Amino acid sequence: MRIERDIIYIILAFIALMVVVPWTAGQLSDQIFFNWPFFFEVAIGGLLSGVMYSLVALGFVLIFKASGVFNFSQGAIVLFAALTLVGLHELGLPMWLAMIATMGVMYLVAVAIEKLVLGKLVNQEHIILFMATIGIAYFLDGFGQILWGSDVKLLDLGISQAPGFYFDGLILINDFDLFAAAVAGVLVISLAIFFQYTRIGRALRAVADDHQAALSVGIPLNHIWIIVWTVAGLVGLVAGIMWGSKMGVQFSLALIALKALPVLILGGFTSVPGAIIGGLIIGAGEKLAEVFIAPMIGGGIEEWFAYMLALAFLVFRPQGLFGEKIIERV
Amino acid sequence: MKEWKIGDVILALDNISLSFGAMKVLNNISFDVKKGEIRSIIGPNGAGKSSMLNVINGFYHPQEGSITFRGEKRKEMDVHKAAASGIARTFQNIALFKGMSTLDNIMTGRNLKIKSNIFQQAVYWGKAQKEEIEHRYKVEEIIDFLEIQDIRKTPVGRLPYGFQKRVELGRALAAEPDILLLDEPMAGMNVEEKEDMSRFILDINDEFGTTIVLIEHDMGVVMDLSDRVVVLDYGLQLADGPPDEVRNNQKVIDAYLGVSH
Repeated sequence: MRIERDIIYIILAFIALMVVVPWTAGQLSDQIFFNWPFFFEVAIGGLLSGVMYSLVALGFVLIFKASGVFNFSQGAIVLFAALTLVGLHELGLPMWLAMIATMGVMYLVAVAIEKLVLGKLVNQEHIILFMATIGIAYFLDGFGQILWGSDVKLLDLGISQAPGFYFDGLILINDFDLFAAAVAGVLVISLAIFFQYTRIGRALRAVADDHQAALSVGIPLNHIWIIVWTVAGLVGLVAGIMWGSKMGVQFSLALIALKALPVLILGGFTSVPGAIIGGLIIGAGEKLAEVFIAPMIGGGIEEWFAYMLALAFLVFRPQGLFGEKIIERV
Repeated sequence: MKEWKIGDVILALDNISLSFGAMKVLNNISFDVKKGEIRSIIGPNGAGKSSMLNVINGFYHPQEGSITFRGEKRKEMDVHKAAASGIARTFQNIALFKGMSTLDNIMTGRNLKIKSNIFQQAVYWGKAQKEEIEHRYKVEEIIDFLEIQDIRKTPVGRLPYGFQKRVELGRALAAEPDILLLDEPMAGMNVEEKEDMSRFILDINDEFGTTIVLIEHDMGVVMDLSDRVVVLDYGLQLADGPPDEVRNNQKVIDAYLGVSH
Protein backbone atom coordinates (compact mmCIF):
# COMPACT_ATOMS: atom_id res chain seq x y z
CA MET A 1 0.00 0.00 0.00
CA ARG A 2 1.52 3.25 -1.10
CA ILE A 3 0.31 6.25 0.82
CA GLU A 4 -0.03 9.29 -1.37
CA ARG A 5 0.58 12.75 -0.08
CA ASP A 6 -3.09 13.65 -0.64
CA ILE A 7 -4.17 11.02 1.82
CA ILE A 8 -1.93 12.38 4.52
CA TYR A 9 -3.29 15.87 3.87
CA ILE A 10 -6.86 14.67 4.07
CA ILE A 11 -6.27 12.87 7.35
CA LEU A 12 -4.36 15.83 8.81
CA ALA A 13 -7.13 18.19 7.74
CA PHE A 14 -9.65 15.92 9.37
CA ILE A 15 -7.74 15.78 12.64
CA ALA A 16 -7.27 19.54 12.57
CA LEU A 17 -10.99 20.06 12.05
CA MET A 18 -11.91 17.69 14.82
CA VAL A 19 -9.41 19.09 17.32
CA VAL A 20 -9.09 22.74 16.46
CA VAL A 21 -12.79 23.51 16.07
CA PRO A 22 -13.84 22.05 19.44
CA TRP A 23 -10.83 23.54 21.17
CA THR A 24 -11.44 27.02 19.79
CA ALA A 25 -15.09 26.75 20.58
CA GLY A 26 -14.20 25.64 24.07
CA GLN A 27 -11.96 28.66 24.51
CA LEU A 28 -14.51 31.11 23.14
CA SER A 29 -17.49 30.06 25.15
CA ASP A 30 -17.85 28.54 28.54
CA GLN A 31 -21.07 26.84 27.57
CA ILE A 32 -19.24 24.04 25.84
CA PHE A 33 -17.57 21.59 28.08
CA PHE A 34 -14.02 21.05 26.87
CA ASN A 35 -11.04 19.49 28.49
CA TRP A 36 -8.41 17.22 27.02
CA PRO A 37 -9.13 13.98 28.91
CA PHE A 38 -12.79 14.29 27.99
CA PHE A 39 -11.87 15.03 24.39
CA PHE A 40 -9.74 11.91 24.21
CA GLU A 41 -12.40 9.85 25.86
CA VAL A 42 -14.89 10.82 23.18
CA ALA A 43 -12.30 10.35 20.43
CA ILE A 44 -11.28 6.90 21.61
CA GLY A 45 -14.87 5.85 22.13
CA GLY A 46 -15.58 7.02 18.58
CA LEU A 47 -12.58 5.23 17.11
CA LEU A 48 -13.63 2.02 18.79
CA SER A 49 -17.18 2.22 17.55
CA GLY A 50 -15.67 3.00 14.15
CA VAL A 51 -13.95 -0.36 14.29
CA MET A 52 -17.36 -1.93 14.49
CA TYR A 53 -18.37 -0.20 11.26
CA SER A 54 -15.15 -1.39 9.69
CA LEU A 55 -16.00 -4.98 10.52
CA VAL A 56 -19.13 -4.73 8.42
CA ALA A 57 -17.40 -2.77 5.66
CA LEU A 58 -14.73 -5.47 5.40
CA GLY A 59 -17.23 -8.01 4.15
CA PHE A 60 -18.22 -5.65 1.34
CA VAL A 61 -14.61 -4.95 0.40
CA LEU A 62 -13.75 -8.64 0.20
CA ILE A 63 -16.43 -9.44 -2.31
CA PHE A 64 -15.95 -6.23 -4.24
CA LYS A 65 -12.23 -6.90 -4.59
CA ALA A 66 -12.76 -10.44 -5.70
CA SER A 67 -15.65 -10.11 -8.08
CA GLY A 68 -16.04 -6.43 -8.78
CA VAL A 69 -19.54 -6.75 -7.41
CA PHE A 70 -21.07 -4.56 -4.77
CA ASN A 71 -22.54 -7.21 -2.53
CA PHE A 72 -25.91 -5.96 -1.40
CA SER A 73 -26.39 -9.05 0.76
CA GLN A 74 -23.55 -8.43 3.22
CA GLY A 75 -25.98 -7.08 5.83
CA ALA A 76 -28.15 -10.14 5.41
CA ILE A 77 -25.08 -12.34 5.78
CA VAL A 78 -24.24 -10.64 9.08
CA LEU A 79 -27.78 -11.22 10.32
CA PHE A 80 -27.90 -14.80 9.07
CA ALA A 81 -24.56 -15.69 10.67
CA ALA A 82 -25.54 -14.16 14.02
CA LEU A 83 -28.96 -15.82 13.99
CA THR A 84 -27.45 -19.19 13.21
CA LEU A 85 -24.88 -18.83 15.97
CA VAL A 86 -27.42 -17.88 18.61
CA GLY A 87 -29.92 -20.42 17.32
CA LEU A 88 -27.43 -23.26 17.56
CA HIS A 89 -26.38 -22.07 20.99
CA GLU A 90 -29.99 -22.07 22.16
CA LEU A 91 -30.35 -25.63 20.89
CA GLY A 92 -27.81 -26.56 23.53
CA LEU A 93 -24.46 -26.43 21.75
CA PRO A 94 -21.68 -24.81 23.77
CA MET A 95 -20.61 -21.43 22.35
CA TRP A 96 -17.31 -22.59 20.83
CA LEU A 97 -18.99 -25.52 19.10
CA ALA A 98 -21.79 -23.30 17.85
CA MET A 99 -19.16 -20.98 16.36
CA ILE A 100 -17.44 -23.78 14.51
CA ALA A 101 -20.79 -25.09 13.29
CA THR A 102 -21.76 -21.61 12.10
CA MET A 103 -18.51 -21.34 10.16
CA GLY A 104 -19.49 -24.61 8.49
CA VAL A 105 -22.93 -23.22 7.71
CA MET A 106 -21.39 -20.07 6.20
CA TYR A 107 -19.25 -22.29 3.98
CA LEU A 108 -22.37 -24.14 2.83
CA VAL A 109 -24.10 -20.82 2.15
CA ALA A 110 -21.11 -19.81 0.01
CA VAL A 111 -21.25 -23.06 -1.93
CA ALA A 112 -24.99 -22.68 -2.46
CA ILE A 113 -24.59 -19.09 -3.67
CA GLU A 114 -21.91 -20.14 -6.14
CA LYS A 115 -23.74 -23.21 -7.42
CA LEU A 116 -27.23 -21.76 -7.63
CA VAL A 117 -26.65 -18.11 -8.47
CA LEU A 118 -23.22 -16.79 -9.40
CA GLY A 119 -22.03 -19.89 -11.23
CA LYS A 120 -24.78 -19.30 -13.78
CA LEU A 121 -23.73 -15.70 -14.31
CA VAL A 122 -20.08 -16.00 -15.35
CA ASN A 123 -19.02 -13.26 -17.75
CA GLN A 124 -22.15 -11.19 -17.14
CA GLU A 125 -22.14 -7.48 -16.49
CA HIS A 126 -21.42 -6.38 -12.93
CA ILE A 127 -24.84 -4.80 -12.64
CA ILE A 128 -26.43 -8.19 -13.24
CA LEU A 129 -24.35 -9.77 -10.50
CA PHE A 130 -25.33 -6.85 -8.26
CA MET A 131 -29.02 -7.54 -8.91
CA ALA A 132 -28.41 -11.17 -8.02
CA THR A 133 -26.97 -10.16 -4.65
CA ILE A 134 -30.15 -8.19 -3.91
CA GLY A 135 -32.06 -11.41 -4.40
CA ILE A 136 -29.62 -13.23 -2.14
CA ALA A 137 -30.11 -10.55 0.53
CA TYR A 138 -33.88 -10.94 0.61
CA PHE A 139 -33.62 -14.69 0.61
CA LEU A 140 -31.15 -14.82 3.50
CA ASP A 141 -33.14 -12.28 5.53
CA GLY A 142 -36.26 -14.39 5.25
CA PHE A 143 -34.63 -17.79 5.44
CA GLY A 144 -32.71 -16.95 8.63
CA GLN A 145 -35.88 -15.79 10.34
CA ILE A 146 -37.89 -18.80 9.19
CA LEU A 147 -35.23 -21.09 10.63
CA TRP A 148 -34.54 -19.32 13.88
CA GLY A 149 -37.52 -17.08 14.50
CA SER A 150 -37.68 -13.31 14.51
CA ASP A 151 -37.50 -12.59 18.25
CA VAL A 152 -34.71 -10.47 19.61
CA LYS A 153 -32.10 -12.85 20.95
CA LEU A 154 -29.40 -12.26 23.49
CA LEU A 155 -25.81 -13.01 22.64
CA ASP A 156 -23.50 -13.07 25.60
CA LEU A 157 -19.81 -13.67 25.05
CA GLY A 158 -18.99 -13.31 28.71
CA ILE A 159 -16.99 -10.18 28.08
CA SER A 160 -17.84 -7.32 30.36
CA GLN A 161 -19.73 -4.45 28.75
CA ALA A 162 -18.89 -2.27 31.70
CA PRO A 163 -16.58 0.68 31.20
CA GLY A 164 -13.07 0.50 32.57
CA PHE A 165 -10.88 3.38 33.63
CA TYR A 166 -7.54 3.97 31.97
CA PHE A 167 -4.72 6.49 32.33
CA ASP A 168 -5.07 7.04 36.07
CA GLY A 169 -8.82 6.99 35.86
CA LEU A 170 -8.91 10.00 33.56
CA ILE A 171 -10.36 8.24 30.56
CA LEU A 172 -13.29 5.91 30.46
CA ILE A 173 -13.24 3.15 27.86
CA ASN A 174 -15.62 0.26 27.32
CA ASP A 175 -13.71 -3.04 27.66
CA PHE A 176 -15.89 -4.73 25.10
CA ASP A 177 -15.01 -2.08 22.55
CA LEU A 178 -11.33 -2.72 23.16
CA PHE A 179 -11.91 -6.41 22.59
CA ALA A 180 -13.77 -5.71 19.34
CA ALA A 181 -10.95 -3.47 18.17
CA ALA A 182 -8.37 -6.17 18.84
CA VAL A 183 -10.39 -8.73 16.89
CA ALA A 184 -10.81 -6.34 13.97
CA GLY A 185 -7.11 -5.55 13.99
CA VAL A 186 -6.14 -9.20 13.71
CA LEU A 187 -8.70 -9.77 10.95
CA VAL A 188 -7.49 -6.85 8.91
CA ILE A 189 -3.81 -7.65 9.13
CA SER A 190 -4.35 -11.22 8.07
CA LEU A 191 -6.71 -10.28 5.25
CA ALA A 192 -4.37 -7.59 3.93
CA ILE A 193 -1.46 -10.03 3.84
CA PHE A 194 -3.62 -12.70 2.30
CA PHE A 195 -4.71 -10.44 -0.55
CA GLN A 196 -1.37 -8.86 -1.25
CA TYR A 197 1.07 -11.70 -1.06
CA THR A 198 -0.52 -15.00 -1.84
CA ARG A 199 -1.52 -16.87 -4.94
CA ILE A 200 -5.13 -17.00 -3.88
CA GLY A 201 -5.15 -13.31 -3.12
CA ARG A 202 -3.79 -12.59 -6.57
CA ALA A 203 -6.26 -14.97 -8.14
CA LEU A 204 -9.07 -13.14 -6.34
CA ARG A 205 -7.98 -9.82 -7.75
CA ALA A 206 -7.58 -11.37 -11.18
CA VAL A 207 -11.13 -12.70 -11.13
CA ALA A 208 -12.38 -9.24 -10.23
CA ASP A 209 -10.74 -7.77 -13.32
CA ASP A 210 -11.50 -10.23 -16.07
CA HIS A 211 -13.33 -13.55 -15.86
CA GLN A 212 -12.20 -14.86 -19.22
CA ALA A 213 -8.54 -14.02 -18.78
CA ALA A 214 -8.63 -15.54 -15.30
CA LEU A 215 -10.00 -18.76 -16.73
CA SER A 216 -7.33 -18.84 -19.41
CA VAL A 217 -4.51 -18.86 -16.88
CA GLY A 218 -6.22 -21.69 -15.07
CA ILE A 219 -7.85 -19.87 -12.17
CA PRO A 220 -10.89 -21.91 -11.21
CA LEU A 221 -13.62 -19.29 -10.99
CA ASN A 222 -16.03 -21.38 -8.95
CA HIS A 223 -13.46 -22.21 -6.25
CA ILE A 224 -12.47 -18.59 -6.00
CA TRP A 225 -16.06 -17.48 -5.54
CA ILE A 226 -16.65 -20.08 -2.87
CA ILE A 227 -13.51 -18.93 -1.05
CA VAL A 228 -14.51 -15.26 -1.16
CA TRP A 229 -18.08 -15.80 -0.06
CA THR A 230 -16.90 -18.06 2.73
CA VAL A 231 -14.43 -15.46 3.93
CA ALA A 232 -17.10 -12.77 3.64
CA GLY A 233 -19.39 -15.06 5.62
CA LEU A 234 -16.76 -15.48 8.35
CA VAL A 235 -16.14 -11.74 8.52
CA GLY A 236 -19.93 -11.34 8.63
CA LEU A 237 -20.05 -13.78 11.52
CA VAL A 238 -17.46 -11.77 13.45
CA ALA A 239 -19.38 -8.55 12.75
CA GLY A 240 -22.61 -10.28 13.73
CA ILE A 241 -21.13 -11.46 17.03
CA MET A 242 -19.81 -8.01 17.90
CA TRP A 243 -22.93 -6.09 16.92
CA GLY A 244 -25.23 -8.82 18.17
CA SER A 245 -23.78 -8.75 21.65
CA LYS A 246 -24.10 -4.98 21.68
CA MET A 247 -27.66 -4.60 20.47
CA GLY A 248 -29.12 -8.11 20.50
CA VAL A 249 -29.51 -10.40 17.53
CA GLN A 250 -32.46 -9.15 15.53
CA PHE A 251 -33.53 -8.04 12.08
CA SER A 252 -32.05 -4.56 12.44
CA LEU A 253 -28.58 -6.16 12.29
CA ALA A 254 -29.10 -6.37 8.54
CA LEU A 255 -29.47 -2.60 8.45
CA ILE A 256 -26.04 -1.83 9.89
CA ALA A 257 -24.92 -2.44 6.33
CA LEU A 258 -26.17 1.09 5.70
CA LYS A 259 -23.61 2.41 8.15
CA ALA A 260 -20.92 0.59 6.22
CA LEU A 261 -21.66 2.50 3.04
CA PRO A 262 -20.03 5.81 4.00
CA VAL A 263 -17.11 3.83 5.39
CA LEU A 264 -16.65 2.21 2.00
CA ILE A 265 -16.89 5.48 0.14
CA LEU A 266 -14.26 7.00 2.42
CA GLY A 267 -11.86 4.10 2.48
CA GLY A 268 -12.31 2.96 -1.09
CA PHE A 269 -14.23 -0.09 -2.20
CA THR A 270 -11.13 -2.08 -3.01
CA SER A 271 -8.98 -1.56 0.03
CA VAL A 272 -8.93 -3.67 3.18
CA PRO A 273 -6.89 -1.11 5.17
CA GLY A 274 -9.18 1.55 3.67
CA ALA A 275 -12.19 -0.11 5.29
CA ILE A 276 -10.47 0.23 8.65
CA ILE A 277 -9.28 3.80 8.29
CA GLY A 278 -12.64 4.79 6.82
CA GLY A 279 -14.38 3.22 9.80
CA LEU A 280 -12.08 4.98 12.27
CA ILE A 281 -12.60 8.36 10.66
CA ILE A 282 -16.35 7.97 10.54
CA GLY A 283 -16.58 6.59 14.07
CA ALA A 284 -14.43 9.30 15.61
CA GLY A 285 -15.90 12.02 13.41
CA GLU A 286 -19.45 11.11 14.33
CA LYS A 287 -18.88 11.14 18.06
CA LEU A 288 -16.67 14.23 18.16
CA ALA A 289 -19.04 16.15 15.94
CA GLU A 290 -21.99 15.13 18.07
CA VAL A 291 -20.35 16.10 21.36
CA PHE A 292 -18.37 19.20 20.41
CA ILE A 293 -19.81 20.68 17.23
CA ALA A 294 -23.49 19.79 17.51
CA PRO A 295 -24.19 22.10 20.47
CA MET A 296 -23.10 25.03 18.31
CA ILE A 297 -25.67 24.32 15.62
CA GLY A 298 -28.43 22.80 17.63
CA GLY A 299 -27.47 19.12 17.86
CA GLY A 300 -28.36 15.90 16.06
CA ILE A 301 -25.26 15.65 13.90
CA GLU A 302 -24.44 12.02 14.56
CA GLU A 303 -27.17 10.62 12.34
CA TRP A 304 -26.12 12.31 9.14
CA PHE A 305 -22.47 13.26 9.68
CA ALA A 306 -21.14 10.08 8.06
CA TYR A 307 -23.23 10.57 4.96
CA MET A 308 -22.18 14.20 4.58
CA LEU A 309 -18.56 13.14 4.80
CA ALA A 310 -19.18 10.45 2.20
CA LEU A 311 -20.85 12.98 -0.06
CA ALA A 312 -17.83 15.28 0.15
CA PHE A 313 -15.61 12.38 -0.79
CA LEU A 314 -17.77 11.45 -3.75
CA VAL A 315 -17.32 14.94 -5.10
CA PHE A 316 -13.60 15.37 -4.52
CA ARG A 317 -12.10 11.91 -4.37
CA PRO A 318 -14.48 9.33 -5.78
CA GLN A 319 -12.06 6.44 -5.45
CA GLY A 320 -11.87 6.94 -1.68
CA LEU A 321 -8.71 7.23 0.36
CA PHE A 322 -7.11 3.96 -0.66
CA GLY A 323 -9.19 2.75 -3.56
CA GLU A 324 -7.69 1.98 -6.93
CA LYS A 325 -7.78 5.02 -9.13
CA ILE A 326 -10.19 4.56 -11.95
CA ILE A 327 -8.14 4.60 -15.11
CA GLU A 328 -9.76 4.46 -18.46
CA ARG A 329 -7.84 4.66 -21.69
CA VAL A 330 -9.86 6.05 -24.52
CA MET B 1 15.00 -23.53 -42.26
CA LYS B 2 14.36 -25.22 -38.98
CA GLU B 3 12.61 -28.40 -40.03
CA TRP B 4 14.98 -30.29 -37.75
CA LYS B 5 13.18 -29.32 -34.60
CA ILE B 6 9.60 -29.83 -35.64
CA GLY B 7 8.32 -32.97 -34.00
CA ASP B 8 5.20 -35.11 -34.03
CA VAL B 9 1.64 -33.93 -34.05
CA ILE B 10 0.76 -32.59 -30.60
CA LEU B 11 -2.71 -31.28 -31.34
CA ALA B 12 -5.10 -32.45 -34.04
CA LEU B 13 -8.52 -31.07 -34.83
CA ASP B 14 -10.86 -33.30 -36.84
CA ASN B 15 -13.99 -32.11 -38.59
CA ILE B 16 -14.72 -29.41 -36.05
CA SER B 17 -18.10 -27.75 -36.50
CA LEU B 18 -19.34 -25.01 -34.22
CA SER B 19 -22.54 -23.03 -34.41
CA PHE B 20 -24.36 -20.51 -32.30
CA GLY B 21 -28.03 -21.07 -32.93
CA ALA B 22 -28.52 -20.96 -36.66
CA MET B 23 -25.17 -19.36 -37.33
CA LYS B 24 -22.45 -21.73 -38.43
CA VAL B 25 -19.15 -20.32 -37.26
CA LEU B 26 -16.92 -23.26 -38.09
CA ASN B 27 -17.73 -25.85 -40.67
CA ASN B 28 -15.82 -29.12 -40.81
CA ILE B 29 -12.41 -27.74 -40.02
CA SER B 30 -9.50 -30.19 -39.75
CA PHE B 31 -5.87 -29.41 -39.23
CA ASP B 32 -3.06 -30.41 -36.95
CA VAL B 33 -0.28 -28.70 -35.06
CA LYS B 34 3.16 -30.25 -34.75
CA LYS B 35 5.40 -29.87 -31.77
CA GLY B 36 7.75 -26.93 -32.11
CA GLU B 37 6.22 -25.29 -35.15
CA ILE B 38 4.67 -21.89 -35.67
CA ARG B 39 1.23 -22.56 -37.06
CA SER B 40 -0.79 -19.64 -38.35
CA ILE B 41 -4.50 -19.31 -38.86
CA ILE B 42 -5.42 -16.58 -41.33
CA GLY B 43 -8.54 -15.38 -43.04
CA PRO B 44 -10.68 -12.29 -43.50
CA ASN B 45 -12.66 -10.79 -40.62
CA GLY B 46 -15.38 -13.09 -39.35
CA ALA B 47 -13.70 -16.14 -40.81
CA GLY B 48 -13.84 -17.97 -37.48
CA LYS B 49 -10.18 -17.68 -36.48
CA SER B 50 -10.76 -16.56 -32.91
CA SER B 51 -13.51 -19.12 -32.53
CA MET B 52 -10.97 -21.73 -33.53
CA LEU B 53 -8.65 -20.64 -30.71
CA ASN B 54 -11.57 -20.64 -28.31
CA VAL B 55 -12.31 -24.22 -29.29
CA ILE B 56 -8.67 -25.18 -28.69
CA ASN B 57 -8.52 -23.74 -25.18
CA GLY B 58 -12.01 -24.83 -24.25
CA PHE B 59 -13.98 -21.58 -24.13
CA TYR B 60 -16.19 -22.94 -26.90
CA HIS B 61 -17.40 -26.49 -27.17
CA PRO B 62 -17.89 -27.59 -30.77
CA GLN B 63 -21.05 -29.52 -31.66
CA GLU B 64 -19.21 -31.92 -33.94
CA GLY B 65 -15.72 -33.24 -34.44
CA SER B 66 -12.97 -34.25 -32.10
CA ILE B 67 -9.79 -32.82 -30.64
CA THR B 68 -6.75 -35.00 -30.10
CA PHE B 69 -4.31 -33.45 -27.68
CA ARG B 70 -1.17 -35.39 -26.77
CA GLY B 71 -2.66 -38.57 -28.22
CA GLU B 72 -5.82 -38.30 -26.17
CA LYS B 73 -8.96 -37.92 -28.25
CA ARG B 74 -11.87 -35.95 -26.84
CA LYS B 75 -15.01 -34.19 -27.96
CA GLU B 76 -14.14 -30.85 -26.42
CA MET B 77 -11.51 -29.19 -24.26
CA ASP B 78 -12.13 -27.98 -20.73
CA VAL B 79 -10.78 -24.49 -19.97
CA HIS B 80 -9.17 -25.41 -16.70
CA LYS B 81 -7.73 -28.68 -17.94
CA ALA B 82 -6.40 -26.99 -21.05
CA ALA B 83 -4.57 -24.44 -18.93
CA ALA B 84 -3.31 -27.14 -16.58
CA SER B 85 -2.00 -29.29 -19.41
CA GLY B 86 0.07 -26.56 -21.00
CA ILE B 87 -2.09 -24.43 -23.28
CA ALA B 88 -1.72 -20.70 -22.67
CA ARG B 89 -3.16 -17.87 -24.70
CA THR B 90 -3.48 -14.17 -25.31
CA PHE B 91 -6.60 -12.36 -26.45
CA GLN B 92 -7.51 -10.25 -29.43
CA ASN B 93 -8.88 -7.50 -27.21
CA ILE B 94 -6.32 -7.44 -24.46
CA ALA B 95 -7.67 -9.18 -21.38
CA LEU B 96 -5.32 -8.10 -18.62
CA PHE B 97 -6.05 -7.55 -14.97
CA LYS B 98 -6.07 -3.78 -15.27
CA GLY B 99 -5.85 -2.78 -11.64
CA MET B 100 -2.83 -5.01 -11.01
CA SER B 101 0.82 -4.27 -11.72
CA THR B 102 2.77 -5.84 -14.58
CA LEU B 103 4.50 -8.06 -12.06
CA ASP B 104 1.25 -9.29 -10.51
CA ASN B 105 -0.30 -9.87 -13.90
CA ILE B 106 2.58 -12.08 -14.96
CA MET B 107 2.54 -13.79 -11.57
CA THR B 108 -1.06 -14.89 -12.16
CA GLY B 109 0.31 -16.84 -15.10
CA ARG B 110 2.16 -19.01 -12.59
CA ASN B 111 -1.04 -19.69 -10.74
CA LEU B 112 -1.14 -23.36 -11.65
CA LYS B 113 2.49 -23.92 -10.71
CA ILE B 114 2.02 -22.88 -7.10
CA LYS B 115 1.48 -25.91 -4.95
CA SER B 116 1.23 -24.71 -1.36
CA ASN B 117 -2.25 -25.13 0.07
CA ILE B 118 -4.78 -22.56 1.16
CA PHE B 119 -3.83 -22.69 4.84
CA GLN B 120 -0.15 -22.15 4.14
CA GLN B 121 -1.19 -19.36 1.81
CA ALA B 122 -3.43 -17.81 4.41
CA VAL B 123 -0.60 -17.42 6.89
CA TYR B 124 2.02 -16.86 4.16
CA TRP B 125 4.49 -19.05 5.93
CA GLY B 126 6.99 -21.81 5.15
CA LYS B 127 6.34 -23.39 1.79
CA ALA B 128 4.10 -20.57 0.56
CA GLN B 129 6.76 -17.94 1.14
CA LYS B 130 9.57 -20.00 -0.37
CA GLU B 131 7.49 -20.74 -3.42
CA GLU B 132 6.53 -17.13 -3.93
CA ILE B 133 10.21 -16.20 -4.06
CA GLU B 134 11.05 -18.97 -6.54
CA HIS B 135 8.26 -17.86 -8.83
CA ARG B 136 9.39 -14.28 -8.63
CA TYR B 137 12.73 -15.35 -10.14
CA LYS B 138 10.98 -16.98 -13.05
CA VAL B 139 8.80 -13.94 -13.57
CA GLU B 140 11.83 -11.65 -13.52
CA GLU B 141 13.36 -13.78 -16.28
CA ILE B 142 10.28 -13.26 -18.39
CA ILE B 143 10.31 -9.54 -17.68
CA ASP B 144 13.94 -9.39 -18.83
CA PHE B 145 13.14 -11.43 -21.89
CA LEU B 146 10.32 -9.13 -22.96
CA GLU B 147 12.31 -6.00 -22.07
CA ILE B 148 9.66 -4.56 -19.77
CA GLN B 149 11.79 -3.99 -16.68
CA ASP B 150 10.79 -0.33 -16.45
CA ILE B 151 7.09 -0.98 -16.11
CA ARG B 152 7.36 -3.75 -13.55
CA LYS B 153 5.31 -1.95 -10.91
CA THR B 154 3.00 0.07 -13.14
CA PRO B 155 -0.70 -0.84 -13.08
CA VAL B 156 -1.23 -2.23 -16.56
CA GLY B 157 -4.32 -0.09 -17.14
CA ARG B 158 -1.97 2.87 -17.49
CA LEU B 159 0.37 1.30 -20.04
CA PRO B 160 0.32 2.07 -23.74
CA TYR B 161 -1.29 -0.52 -25.97
CA GLY B 162 1.93 -2.07 -27.29
CA PHE B 163 3.20 -2.71 -23.78
CA GLN B 164 -0.10 -4.18 -22.67
CA LYS B 165 0.21 -6.69 -25.49
CA ARG B 166 3.67 -7.59 -24.21
CA VAL B 167 2.49 -8.01 -20.63
CA GLU B 168 -0.26 -10.28 -21.86
CA LEU B 169 2.32 -12.33 -23.72
CA GLY B 170 4.39 -12.42 -20.53
CA ARG B 171 1.47 -13.73 -18.52
CA ALA B 172 0.94 -16.52 -21.04
CA LEU B 173 4.67 -17.34 -21.02
CA ALA B 174 4.75 -17.50 -17.22
CA ALA B 175 2.77 -20.71 -17.36
CA GLU B 176 5.68 -22.25 -19.35
CA PRO B 177 3.17 -23.55 -21.89
CA ASP B 178 3.77 -26.23 -24.49
CA ILE B 179 1.33 -24.56 -26.83
CA LEU B 180 0.93 -20.81 -26.97
CA LEU B 181 -2.16 -19.43 -28.67
CA LEU B 182 -1.70 -15.85 -29.87
CA ASP B 183 -4.77 -13.99 -31.07
CA GLU B 184 -3.59 -11.08 -33.21
CA PRO B 185 -0.56 -10.18 -31.11
CA MET B 186 0.33 -7.37 -33.49
CA ALA B 187 -3.04 -5.76 -34.12
CA GLY B 188 -2.84 -2.00 -33.94
CA MET B 189 0.93 -1.82 -33.64
CA ASN B 190 3.34 0.31 -35.62
CA VAL B 191 6.13 -1.21 -37.69
CA GLU B 192 8.72 -1.03 -34.95
CA GLU B 193 6.45 -2.62 -32.37
CA LYS B 194 5.56 -5.33 -34.87
CA GLU B 195 9.23 -6.10 -35.43
CA ASP B 196 9.78 -6.39 -31.68
CA MET B 197 6.82 -8.68 -31.28
CA SER B 198 7.91 -10.85 -34.23
CA ARG B 199 11.32 -11.17 -32.65
CA PHE B 200 9.78 -12.26 -29.33
CA ILE B 201 7.62 -14.84 -31.04
CA LEU B 202 10.58 -16.31 -32.94
CA ASP B 203 12.71 -16.31 -29.78
CA ILE B 204 10.03 -18.03 -27.73
CA ASN B 205 9.74 -20.65 -30.42
CA ASP B 206 13.52 -21.06 -30.77
CA GLU B 207 14.70 -20.85 -27.19
CA PHE B 208 11.90 -22.60 -25.33
CA GLY B 209 10.73 -24.83 -28.17
CA THR B 210 7.19 -23.61 -27.55
CA THR B 211 4.64 -24.54 -30.18
CA ILE B 212 2.81 -21.45 -31.36
CA VAL B 213 -0.60 -21.08 -32.92
CA LEU B 214 -0.86 -17.59 -34.33
CA ILE B 215 -3.70 -15.52 -35.69
CA GLU B 216 -2.51 -12.47 -37.56
CA HIS B 217 -3.70 -10.15 -40.28
CA ASP B 218 -0.36 -8.79 -41.42
CA MET B 219 0.47 -11.10 -44.32
CA GLY B 220 4.12 -10.14 -44.37
CA VAL B 221 4.51 -11.18 -40.75
CA VAL B 222 2.55 -14.39 -41.20
CA MET B 223 4.50 -15.49 -44.24
CA ASP B 224 7.82 -14.73 -42.53
CA LEU B 225 7.12 -16.41 -39.21
CA SER B 226 4.96 -19.39 -39.99
CA ASP B 227 5.97 -22.93 -40.75
CA ARG B 228 2.50 -23.81 -41.93
CA VAL B 229 -0.63 -21.79 -42.52
CA VAL B 230 -4.29 -22.73 -42.47
CA VAL B 231 -6.74 -20.40 -44.21
CA LEU B 232 -10.35 -19.97 -43.12
CA ASP B 233 -13.14 -18.02 -44.77
CA TYR B 234 -16.72 -17.84 -43.48
CA GLY B 235 -16.10 -20.87 -41.29
CA LEU B 236 -14.82 -22.95 -44.18
CA GLN B 237 -11.30 -24.22 -44.61
CA LEU B 238 -9.80 -22.89 -47.85
CA ALA B 239 -6.24 -24.12 -47.70
CA ASP B 240 -3.60 -25.64 -45.49
CA GLY B 241 0.12 -25.82 -46.13
CA PRO B 242 3.47 -24.03 -46.06
CA PRO B 243 3.34 -20.24 -46.65
CA ASP B 244 4.54 -20.38 -50.26
CA GLU B 245 1.94 -22.90 -51.25
CA VAL B 246 -0.86 -20.99 -49.51
CA ARG B 247 0.21 -17.71 -51.04
CA ASN B 248 -0.27 -19.08 -54.54
CA ASN B 249 -3.51 -20.89 -53.85
CA GLN B 250 -6.21 -19.50 -56.14
CA LYS B 251 -9.01 -19.84 -53.57
CA VAL B 252 -7.02 -17.89 -51.02
CA ILE B 253 -6.23 -15.11 -53.47
CA ASP B 254 -9.93 -14.91 -54.35
CA ALA B 255 -10.99 -14.74 -50.73
CA TYR B 256 -8.61 -11.95 -49.95
CA LEU B 257 -8.85 -9.92 -53.12
CA GLY B 258 -12.39 -10.74 -54.12
CA VAL B 259 -13.32 -12.43 -57.38
CA SER B 260 -14.62 -10.58 -60.37
CA HIS B 261 -17.63 -12.30 -61.81
